[in-house]
Amino acid sequence: MPPEPLVLGFDTSAAHCAAALLCGDDPVARRHEEMGRGQAERLFPLLEELLSEAGAGWRDLAGIGVGIGPGNFTGVRISVAAARGLALSLGIPAIGVAGFDALAEGQPGPVLASLDARRGLAYLALAGDDRPLDPVLGAPDTVALPAPAGTPCIGHAAETLAARLGSAVRAPADPCAVAIARVAARRLGRRQPRPAPLYVRPADAAPPAEAPPVILP
Amino acid sequence: MLPASDRIHNGARMARTLTLLGLESSCDETAAAVVRQAEGAAPEILASVVEGQAQLHAAFGGVVPEIAARAHAEKLDLCVEAALAEAALDLSDLDAIAVTAGPGLIGGVLAGVMCAKGIAAGAGLPLVGVNHLAGHALTPRLTDGLAFPYLMLLVSGGHAQFLMVRGAERFARLGGTIDDAPGEAFDKTAKLLGLPQPGGPAVEAAAAGGDATRFAFPRPLLDRPGCDLSFSGLKTALMRARDALVTSQGGLHEQDRRDLCAGFQAAVTDVLTEKTRRALAATGDDRPTALAVAGGVAANAGIRARLEQLAADHGVPFVAPPLGLCTDNAAMIAWAGLERFRAGHSDGFDLTARPRWPLDAAAPALVGSGRKGAKA
Repeated sequence: MPPEPLVLGFDTSAAHCAAALLCGDDPVARRHEEMGRGQAERLFPLLEELLSEAGAGWRDLAGIGVGIGPGNFTGVRISVAAARGLALSLGIPAIGVAGFDALAEGQPGPVLASLDARRGLAYLALAGDDRPLDPVLGAPDTVALPAPAGTPCIGHAAETLAARLGSAVRAPADPCAVAIARVAARRLGRRQPRPAPLYVRPADAAPPAEAPPVILP
Repeated sequence: MLPASDRIHNGARMARTLTLLGLESSCDETAAAVVRQAEGAAPEILASVVEGQAQLHAAFGGVVPEIAARAHAEKLDLCVEAALAEAALDLSDLDAIAVTAGPGLIGGVLAGVMCAKGIAAGAGLPLVGVNHLAGHALTPRLTDGLAFPYLMLLVSGGHAQFLMVRGAERFARLGGTIDDAPGEAFDKTAKLLGLPQPGGPAVEAAAAGGDATRFAFPRPLLDRPGCDLSFSGLKTALMRARDALVTSQGGLHEQDRRDLCAGFQAAVTDVLTEKTRRALAATGDDRPTALAVAGGVAANAGIRARLEQLAADHGVPFVAPPLGLCTDNAAMIAWAGLERFRAGHSDGFDLTARPRWPLDAAAPALVGSGRKGAKA
């Protein structure tokens, strides 16, 4: 039995299935498998392998950190739904961790964090110190930047953004699942909302093009 | 709480009470339910929670898959908690977790499957993947204790098929729609005529004051043998009739709308009745114990009355579950899961969510039979 409470972090918001188990500050086990599809089938077998590698069981967990994106809508939902199910059955908190906060974890100060939004776009947010996030979506070379000049940049579009801000490019301190577990571990004990996906993009839906017929008197 | 010895699932046909939680999220209802059955006794629905999404989709004239998936992902666990509270049970009182694993809108199905995996993993309970259509098809056993085999007409917003139900996992499809589902045709009719969604009740209400003989709408596929159905041509005919009126008068009078609805509903009713007559005839010596219906379209009083008469003419009982169990719900998923589980089946945590999953894999594909195979 591990000496300190275990926190599990996992993420399927991009083309991967990633998970880490944190015991205190120590990542005792972690996995990162690249995959474009199949995360829904792989996630639980991977989590069970991870627990068994650490000699732990589901009941040993004190909390769960789950990546809420932004990223692939379906991928984000796979992990968020799984985390909510686990939280319900284990009676432990599941804590949603935005990709921006995972990137900013372990950095000495605020950073402009960026995540791939496909189609030449990126999700950006000033992150760090658990500040509230106000993400924007845009082309890295033209979008109005939500950070002052000199703010270090991290993540998918870091080089383009750092050139615009005249700042440094930072590398993430931890792999994403480890960072998610660390953020969650720090938030444990504080009242947290249930994890919910951070989509940033609205759902692709348009009202019907055709107006209903006029009803005559 | 059951004795510990009763909780070991070894596939043996031991007499025991089973209690299952079911989750459903394949279209636009988020649902959770608890069903219990002592072997050989009538099953009991201990809780059934259905959280509809109609208002989320109302502005779009149909279910938007991404909007549905977003709602399911944040509602499922709440529905499960509500169902357990309604049943006054803990997860430790359950024997397994059943979940719709397809067919349906994949985003919603995935949310359900992942939530169910999380619950099953954390609670140390077996996971049972359920075919949504099997849920509908087995509902008459939950509500009326029907014995196999029976003939099922499944008519909803997403499906239309005739099934000979021979066992909890044995279905023979006698026919089905080659294009739209009838519920979809009701919804499109409502949309074309400026009536509210869901279209079924709105069109039925309007049709009550209409003249079904004013418009001569087609009865698709009646000229062909067999039990297959088609509704897309009927919808086109309705649109043409509407457009002709709008062109000549600049709009529709309330009576036009009623007559269009009445004509449309009469055509659907005639087609379903005749095809059901053929399906009953096709069962031959393999006499069904009943004609059963399921799906939201079975709530239409006119259709129901004609089918009931048809069953009486054939000397078979007619079984229509209450409306709340005809439309999408999780009690049917818990029940279909219970039947599978009692037979010794469960799934691993690699259970796949399937957008397409025909109940009768041996029957030729009807709809969307591209390289990925039949939808349903």
